[in-house]
Amino acid sequence: MKKPLLEVKNLVVETASKTILNNLSLKINRGETHILLGPNGSGKTSLVYSVIGLPNYKITKGVIIFSGKKINKLTLEKRVKLGMSLVFQNPPVIKGVTLNQLLARLNFAQDKLEKFPFNQNLLSLGKRELNLGFSGGEKKISELAQLVSLNPQLAIFDEIDSGLDITKLKQVIKFLLNNFKNKERSMLFITHRGEILKYLQPTFTHVIINGKIICSSRDWKIIWQTIKKYGYAKCKTCFKSKNIR
Amino acid sequence: MVMQNVKLALSQKTSVNFLYLNHHLEKLNAPSGVEILLSPLAYKKYKWVRKYFISPPKEGYFIWVKNQPSHPLSTCVGITQRKVRQGLNNLLVVESGIKAESQVACSAFLRNLYSEHRAEGKIILKENSSLSYKHLHSWAEGDFVEPNYEFILEKGAQLDYQYQLLNPPQNLTFKTKYILNDNAKARAKIVILSKKSIININEEMILSGKNTSGSVFLRLVGDKNSQIHSISRLVAKGESRGHLDCQGLILDNTSQIRLVPELINENKKALLTHEASIGRINEEELNYLRARGLTLKEATELIVNGFLQLENQ
Repeated sequence: MKKPLLEVKNLVVETASKTILNNLSLKINRGETHILLGPNGSGKTSLVYSVIGLPNYKITKGVIIFSGKKINKLTLEKRVKLGMSLVFQNPPVIKGVTLNQLLARLNFAQDKLEKFPFNQNLLSLGKRELNLGFSGGEKKISELAQLVSLNPQLAIFDEIDSGLDITKLKQVIKFLLNNFKNKERSMLFITHRGEILKYLQPTFTHVIINGKIICSSRDWKIIWQTIKKYGYAKCKTCFKSKNIR
Repeated sequence: MVMQNVKLALSQKTSVNFLYLNHHLEKLNAPSGVEILLSPLAYKKYKWVRKYFISPPKEGYFIWVKNQPSHPLSTCVGITQRKVRQGLNNLLVVESGIKAESQVACSAFLRNLYSEHRAEGKIILKENSSLSYKHLHSWAEGDFVEPNYEFILEKGAQLDYQYQLLNPPQNLTFKTKYILNDNAKARAKIVILSKKSIININEEMILSGKNTSGSVFLRLVGDKNSQIHSISRLVAKGESRGHLDCQGLILDNTSQIRLVPELINENKKALLTHEASIGRINEEELNYLRARGLTLKEATELIVNGFLQLENQ
C-alpha cells in the first residue's frame, strides 16, 4: 500500500493557550484533491497553518507526517522546502518589495507560466509593492504565480475562491487541474462555495467542527447538499454518509 | 551596494562628472550648460559665490547648472587611504527654470580606513527650477561622517531629495535644513541602516513662503548595538502645508531609536501633520516570506531592504 503524502494523526494544537484542533486526523494520498468545509471558527485555517508550521500554532499531541517524514519540529521554511505550499487568503502587504523581487527569489521561470491564464495581469502586477492595494483577484494572481514558482507536491489553498468572480474562478480551477492535478501531486482546499466542489470533483470532502474532522466522504454532493439544506448543525448529528473513510 | 555603485562609476569614468578621492581631483567633466570647479577656485573666480561660504573653502566642489543639462549629473567623493580627513565645502546652484538631476555618492572604498568625511553644502534652487537629488553614502566601522546640507528653494522651486545609507560609519552626524519660499515644494526621504553605529540626525524644514508644501520621510533601522537619535522639525511661517513621517525598525535588543518629531506652526492658515512609529518587523510579514521558503534571516533582509528602498530604485 502506498504511503500517504500527508498524514495528520490525532493532532491537538494550541494557540494563545486555547485548544483549536482537537484530536484531528486527516490523510491525503498522492494524486488526491481534498476539500475542507466548516463554519467560521471551526479550525479550517488553524489546520492548514499547523500543517505548514506557523510559529504560533503549538502541537501538544499527535503527529504530522509529510512525504514519509515526521515534521512536527521542522520550521516553516523547511516544511516548504520539503514540498508543501500555502496560498494565503489574506496575504500581508510588504512595502518596498515588489512581486517581481519575490518571484526572483523563488527562482521564478517565465516558461513555468506559459499557460498561466493571468500572464498579462502579472506584467503590471509584478512591478508593484507586494499586496499593496491589490484587489482580491490580484492577490490570487500573485499567490498563484508564487505557487507555480515553488512547484509543491502538496498545494494548500485557503479560500482561493474569495475575491474571484465565477469566470476567473473557472480559469483558476482549470489552470490548477491542468498543472497540479496528477498522480504525484495533491491539493487541499478550504472553501465556503459550492461551485468549487463542482469544478474540482474532489477525491474527498471533509467537514470540520470544533477543531475536529467529523465527516469525510467521497461524495461531495451529499455533504454539500446537507450543509446547504440544513446547515453545519446537521453535520454534528449525521455520520451516515456512505464511503466514510 | 553603494560601494559597488562607486566602483562602477570609477570603472566607467565617462559617466562621472566629478570624481574626488581623498584630497585630490581625479576627474572633472562638465557637460554642456554646466560649470564644475573645485570650490576654492570658484571662490576666487566668482564674487557672488562667496556669500555662500562662511570662510574660503579648502576643498569641495562647485556645480553651476546654467542651462538645461541633457543627462543627470554624477558626483563621486571617496576615501581610499587610512586616516584621511576630508573637510569639503560644496555648492550646487540650479538656475531659474532648469530641471536638473544629480546623483552624489560619498564612500570609503575599503574597510578599516578610520577616515573622516565632513561636508558642508549649500544647494540653491533659483526661481521655478527643480532638482532631483539622490545622495548615497557608504562607509565602514571606524569612519566618522558629518554631512551638513542646506537647501534654499526660491519661489516656485521644487526639490526631491533622497538620502540612503546602507553601510554605516561608526559615527554619523547628519544635518539638513530646507528653506522654502513662496510656492516652493520639497520632499525629502532619508533612509538609514545602522549597525554598531551612533547616528545623530537633525533635520529642519522651514516653510517660509506662501503656498509652500514640504514633506519629510524618515526610515531608520537599528541593529547590532546601534544608537539612533533623530530630531525632525517642521516650521510653518507662511500659509503652507507640511508633513513629517518617521518610522523606525528595531532588529535587536541592543539597539535604541529615539525619534523626536517637532512641529512649530506660526501661521493660522498653515497645516502641519506628523506620524511616527518604532517597532519590530511585523511577524505576519516574516511568516509569509518564510512560507515561501525563505529563512528567517533572508526574510528579515528582504523586508529591511524594502523598508529602506528609495523611490525609482
